[in-house]
Amino acid sequence: MRRVAIVGTGQTRHARRRDDVSQPELVREAATAALRDAGIGPGRLDAVLLSNMELFEGRVMPELWVGEGAFAGGLPCMKIATGGTSGTSTAIAAFHQVASGLFDVALVVGFEKHSEGHTQTGMALTDPFWDRGVASGALGNFALSISQYVAERGVTPEQAARVAVKARRNAALNPYAHLRMADLTVDDVLESRMLAEPIRLLDMCPQSDGACALVVAAEGVAQRLCPRPAWVRAAVTRHDQPYLGDHDRRLLTMRSLRDAAKTAYAQAGVSDPLTDLDVAEIYEPVTYAELAWYEALGFCPEGEAGRLIDEGVTELGGQLPVNPSGGVLSSNPVGASGVIRVAEAARQIHGRAGAHQVPDVDLALATGYGVYSWADAIVLGAAA
Amino acid sequence: MSVTVPIAMDLSWRYASGAALARFCAGLRERRLEALQCDSCGRRYLPPRPVCGDCRRPMERWAPVRDEGALAAWTIVHVPILDGRTGLPRPTPYGMGLVHLDGADTTVNHYVELAGATELRIGARVRAVWRTELRGAMDDIEHFEVIR
Repeated sequence: MRRVAIVGTGQTRHARRRDDVSQPELVREAATAALRDAGIGPGRLDAVLLSNMELFEGRVMPELWVGEGAFAGGLPCMKIATGGTSGTSTAIAAFHQVASGLFDVALVVGFEKHSEGHTQTGMALTDPFWDRGVASGALGNFALSISQYVAERGVTPEQAARVAVKARRNAALNPYAHLRMADLTVDDVLESRMLAEPIRLLDMCPQSDGACALVVAAEGVAQRLCPRPAWVRAAVTRHDQPYLGDHDRRLLTMRSLRDAAKTAYAQAGVSDPLTDLDVAEIYEPVTYAELAWYEALGFCPEGEAGRLIDEGVTELGGQLPVNPSGGVLSSNPVGASGVIRVAEAARQIHGRAGAHQVPDVDLALATGYGVYSWADAIVLGAAA
Repeated sequence: MSVTVPIAMDLSWRYASGAALARFCAGLRERRLEALQCDSCGRRYLPPRPVCGDCRRPMERWAPVRDEGALAAWTIVHVPILDGRTGLPRPTPYGMGLVHLDGADTTVNHYVELAGATELRIGARVRAVWRTELRGAMDDIEHFEVIR
């Protein structure tokens, strides 16, 4: 296997509605930005991989329709759809293709235009025999898991609200982010509308229109295209059993994410994630999940996630900044959100993260979370 | 620029359940709940499925499950979520729970009656409230209610 690096990233401005562009144009906006960042033209691409949840837009075979927007004409082109992990899984597929020697340069583009579709309808079309008649959407499912997490860990609404405040204040430094709220306070979050107890409006991620792209290159090519490539040190994906009730205390145990992270840390030589990692971009669809992931990802012992957020350990200036981009809580075009995590981790290593750049990043973590059945963990490093 | 494309569709689906769920659904018509149990790890699965996801071994042993159990998780939903069975938003607020039925090792995601909302807590005993007309579907159980 060859070593693989991310040598360019690009993303669109994420917003509630991007009526100014069609889906292929949105994809082209991110693809063009990534190619420009890598300093190459579309003629250098050997393969294109797309990430999208087509049921949300209600348009069949998006790869056929938007592939051209990603310059895929005449090239191998495929799409991956695994819920929230779609983007990280698509990045991992590209790493594998390039590492195998099949291709030297691959382009990954994730996109979603929630404003054009019926996301809730897509989410409602679950197993027709078991849970389709029990409507609570992603929100209700999260709320159920969170009730168990809160009961066992004693995490407070104030601690969850601090996660929301951190995310939206960080997003204010990120020109691409959807929810940029520099002045958001804990009280604002606690006073926002209750959606499903204990989740309030500002605890939850938005639905965004947006796209994000990565240029993935093999060793040899990568060093010529990028002065400081973001080398893939580990890339692990895990699937698990399908039903919400299959996992006892799901948010607490989260065995897919725990196992993906443990395996990725072993591959990348990370022994203490809190001290070894310089930055993390994790897939946190709701504030309470970020706290649960701190434990699952080994940032703290069980039950100490609340302390981590209280002490500012994961703030932009803290020991391990988590989601300096603002995270999924600030921008969530689902098919793109996992790609954004990887792109933001890579930008931190490239030194191109702008106002939310963390100083001296050598090792970065990106994760994906798909419904309750997928988890991805990717470690990028400045050293191969 | 955006152009709205008005499309209305009236669709229905026909799904094959597989033998295990067919037996389970037939049982619902008689208010009977059954789980499939793994001979290797002993786990009793709802919904029943032919292979244990952890051990990857075929499951053939049926285990009776009671229509009451304990709340493993709960929430009260305040936003109208689309009901996949009717295509219409469900009136709010409504209660949801993960119910650990006596005799099963997995939990069932279902509605929980809100009349006793103050009694909703993890560990609370609940029982199924069945519809009068049973048709062999999971919503033959209308919701669960807290046992007082």
